[in-house]
Amino acid sequence: MDPATERALVERCRAGDDDAFRELVDRYKDLVFALIARTVQDRGRAEDLAQDVFLRVHRGLPYFRGEARLSTWIYRIVANVCVQQPTRPRAVSLDDDRTRVQPAAADRQFGDLELRDRLEKAIARLPANYRLLVAAHYLDGVQYEDLADALQLPLGTLKTQLYRAKQQLRRLLENELR
Amino acid sequence: MFCDEALDAVERIAAGDLVADGRIADHLNTCPGCAAALESARRVERLLQQRSVPHVSPQFTTSTLGKVRRARWRSDQWLDAGFNLGIVAIVVAMGSALWMLFNRSGLAAVSNDAVGLFGSGLSTFASRVAPSLPLYGAAAAILATALGIWWWAEREA
Repeated sequence: MDPATERALVERCRAGDDDAFRELVDRYKDLVFALIARTVQDRGRAEDLAQDVFLRVHRGLPYFRGEARLSTWIYRIVANVCVQQPTRPRAVSLDDDRTRVQPAAADRQFGDLELRDRLEKAIARLPANYRLLVAAHYLDGVQYEDLADALQLPLGTLKTQLYRAKQQLRRLLENELR
Repeated sequence: MFCDEALDAVERIAAGDLVADGRIADHLNTCPGCAAALESARRVERLLQQRSVPHVSPQFTTSTLGKVRRARWRSDQWLDAGFNLGIVAIVVAMGSALWMLFNRSGLAAVSNDAVGLFGSGLSTFASRVAPSLPLYGAAAAILATALGIWWWAEREA
């Protein structure tokens, strides 16, 4: 969205135009939900948190000065919401369902599904900020720069943290990948 | 020692942010451990790129706007409550000021007669109303139930 359209949309929202706020929600809901769902890995909770993000956006719009882009400001709220989530009470083990895996199942698709499942479990074991980075980096439409602005990190630090997150993932999945 | 440097670089190489050349490329060609780590990093990269994108439910916008409206309504209620409390405080302050004025000016003695008259009027009114109290009580209970149901429906919606 170009800055002028964005400013106009924000102004309409501030004036209490419900249609404008609907437009804002429609524009950002997919990205916000995907980011949160990938970070918290629980669909129901992700939807509640995504709604919470838009509530905060609605409450904060009168104070949004337009110094950052609207998307950056929304990512910042998403990041706060995700990082504030309590750590899962039980550490997810990659071996949780190993007993269900049949050793004879040589089917490549089954192997891929199993690996993806283990990847999700490995991601769940990452710290919240790493989970968010991994979630955001592989979503279309999220730029490195936006993310760095949202997390208030220098671009270099953001990239280093992302490499570290992937390094942790590689180590967690070491046995499955070989 | 060089394995540490190579292992630190494998994620960058797998992401395409670093081209393995010179010492790192030589090391990756000769060290099976680091070569395996690079292969693992590439697989992690591919898996992350192929990760499915969760889609939001179709009623998300409607339910979000509903939540926003309810939140706005609640904040309006707080504003109203604050306003009402302010009014009550003003009325109490004005009553207190009048009472003090009456006491200091000696008008209180005069007003005692008026209070007595008002009191007897009130007791006459109470004795007339008393037989209908169960009816008023039932009406109040029905009203309270209806308000309770409305509040519950608003909260659940």
